[in-house]
Amino acid sequence: MSWLPFAHALVARQDLPVPAWLFAWGASIVLIVSFFALAAAWRKPRFERERWRPLGAGLSRALLSPPTQVVCGAIGVFLLGVAIYSGLRGTEAPDRNFALTFLFVTCWLGFPFFSAIFGDVFRPFNPWRAVGRAAGAGFQLIAGQRSAHLRYPEKLGRWPAAIGLIAVVWLEVVYGASGGVAVGLDPHACAVAALVYTGYTLAMMALFGTEEWCERGEVFSVYFGMFSQLGFLGVEDGRLGRRMPLSAATRWATLPGSAAVVIASIATTSFDGAQEGAFKEAIESVFEWLSETGMDLTTALRLTDTIFIALCFAGVGLVYLLGVRGMRTVRGAPSFAKLRAGFAHTLIPIALAYLVAHYFSLFVFQEQAQFTYLLSDPLGTATTDLFGTASGGIDFTILSANAIWYVQVGALVVGHVLGLTLAHDRALAYWPDYRDASRSQYWMLAVMVAFTCFGLYLLSVSNG
Amino acid sequence: MKQARKFLLPLAVLAAAIGLVACGGGSDNSDEEAVAGAFEVLPGAPPDYAKVSGDAELTRADGGTTAEIELSGLAPNTAYVAHLHTGGCDQPDAGGPHFQFEKGGSEEPPNEIHFEFESDAKGEGSAKATADQEVPAGEAGSIVLHLADDHGTAMAASHAEFASLFVHEGEDHEEGDDHGDDGAGHDQGDDHGGEQDAHSDKIACAELEGGGGTAAVPTIVVRNGEPVGGIKQLEYSAGEQIRFKVSSDEKEEIHVHGYDLMQDVPAGGTVEFDFPADIEGIFEAELEGQGVQILELTVNP
Repeated sequence: MSWLPFAHALVARQDLPVPAWLFAWGASIVLIVSFFALAAAWRKPRFERERWRPLGAGLSRALLSPPTQVVCGAIGVFLLGVAIYSGLRGTEAPDRNFALTFLFVTCWLGFPFFSAIFGDVFRPFNPWRAVGRAAGAGFQLIAGQRSAHLRYPEKLGRWPAAIGLIAVVWLEVVYGASGGVAVGLDPHACAVAALVYTGYTLAMMALFGTEEWCERGEVFSVYFGMFSQLGFLGVEDGRLGRRMPLSAATRWATLPGSAAVVIASIATTSFDGAQEGAFKEAIESVFEWLSETGMDLTTALRLTDTIFIALCFAGVGLVYLLGVRGMRTVRGAPSFAKLRAGFAHTLIPIALAYLVAHYFSLFVFQEQAQFTYLLSDPLGTATTDLFGTASGGIDFTILSANAIWYVQVGALVVGHVLGLTLAHDRALAYWPDYRDASRSQYWMLAVMVAFTCFGLYLLSVSNG
Repeated sequence: MKQARKFLLPLAVLAAAIGLVACGGGSDNSDEEAVAGAFEVLPGAPPDYAKVSGDAELTRADGGTTAEIELSGLAPNTAYVAHLHTGGCDQPDAGGPHFQFEKGGSEEPPNEIHFEFESDAKGEGSAKATADQEVPAGEAGSIVLHLADDHGTAMAASHAEFASLFVHEGEDHEEGDDHGDDGAGHDQGDDHGGEQDAHSDKIACAELEGGGGTAAVPTIVVRNGEPVGGIKQLEYSAGEQIRFKVSSDEKEEIHVHGYDLMQDVPAGGTVEFDFPADIEGIFEAELEGQGVQILELTVNP
């Protein structure tokens, strides 16, 4: 049984597994750094305090003025429109159609990477937010009053976004796979999904209010916004300012369901990384078992993958909750619920590290396609050459296997250190005695070591 | 507090140890290695057998060998035998000598790999042979199909005799024209000595490794839009020359991703890919029309 197809429509090249020696180095560095972190800890929280310095008023005004906002929103709406149109009218070859690469690589991977450095770069371009705000402004103009909204059920928090995040990955890597043939998600289905999501999002915005829904339920706002908390630029009271990197993350997980979002991110990336490697055999046996019950192959494969995504979510969540449960046993600990929400943000750097480790090379390669033939010939029908780059292609030699390995392992190690840093800082804020705080961090240390080593393990497993 | 410390420090160590163990996993995969080939009718085959086709596959796994053959276009309800040979199909005597685990040892299984089967009413048949040791790399040259006529099964009383006759043939006779004669004057050999017939009843040969050892060009055989023996795995180091052939029973377009190479195979034809391994990574090659993967190509740094 070696005919289970590649799930990805776009992948022309896969990363080689990290070699054993690099794996050993990565794991050793993680452990050494972790023990060092236990010993050399600071005693006062450093990231909890708001440290935000405004940038020049002129720059702020230029970037945040209403005309700029309108232009950015229009760009977002236009690009979403191009993607949907390409998907509906363009070629069915996934790698030649603008829609898939733009939505699942340029945006889905690009925004997390850049947000984590610069802050929330998605918000101004968010096409649904732009439409929602325009509709709101239009309503106000005509009716002379602000539109009334339903009260958002507080308990739901960010759960809709967490579920939506899993749904997006499910669409990309599960729905596209079908028995026996490596078709991947086709551009048409992708465009239809984008339309459905647009309808759903605009309806929710009309019900609960544009900003309210962006903060809680709109998958992309919440997901990219989560990574933007690590970035060094932020907007407060209508002014753009510089802040300490990571510091905004300490205030992110205040809504219920935030932990679910970050856990969903780690879980879905793990699933995608493991389905061709670590979980391959397990997936194949469940698939075989299901298909023997008479289920058709496509349904059996989708159901199998769905089960494994759910297991990943449960597994990652369980490890985190065990860590939280452990911290609860330390003298002077706050309540379980407070700890559970209070340490969720410490996993954001781990989630980012997973993304970089698994998709960095795909992003670098696929963006060459994005800015050459996909931009000039978005439909992939060889009928247009808008920018004269339609004959371009991907140069796979710009990254050597070694370079990719170092970035992958480096990302996991750095993510591990940043996660530990945030966790230690949060513990200092929760426990009055810094010794108790340190003690509580044995637990988070174990959680982080587990995630990082699991990440390394996923990279090192041959996908053969 | 003292107690807490006593409890927690070992716990941290334990966590680290768990981490180490978890990290210790790495890479172990007991690789299956399969070679496949397509049966082609030999020049000297009996005339009724011009339409014989089929596949052969030999898999080395966990210290054992499994070989399977599948044929069609045979005479209905007829007994056939096939053997694993060390040489390629294009040798003067197709296949050369029989493969033997212990050279010069017994000429019967388990020291050799033999197949015996009877075709069905439609002239189709298949057989499977297993051995509890691995055929050394490069020594599974080809599988040659014969008629198992009277002396092949009954007269020769034991398979050993038949095989031994055959092996001697292969070693002694160098004349190439022998084939032509035998093919033309084939009469099932009921009344002749076994020696001559062992030659003439060779019907078809499936090239596996061609006996060329490392120099052999791996071949992916595509039947009914599927790679015979599953997705082929090839591994190279950067800078080496990648060479492989694809043969298909139907017209196909072969696409090597990443390297972005395309070639058309005509129905029943073979194409060869020959290019330098200058991009590192794992790539797939597929039948472009159907999106069926046939090859996983690994290029290590």
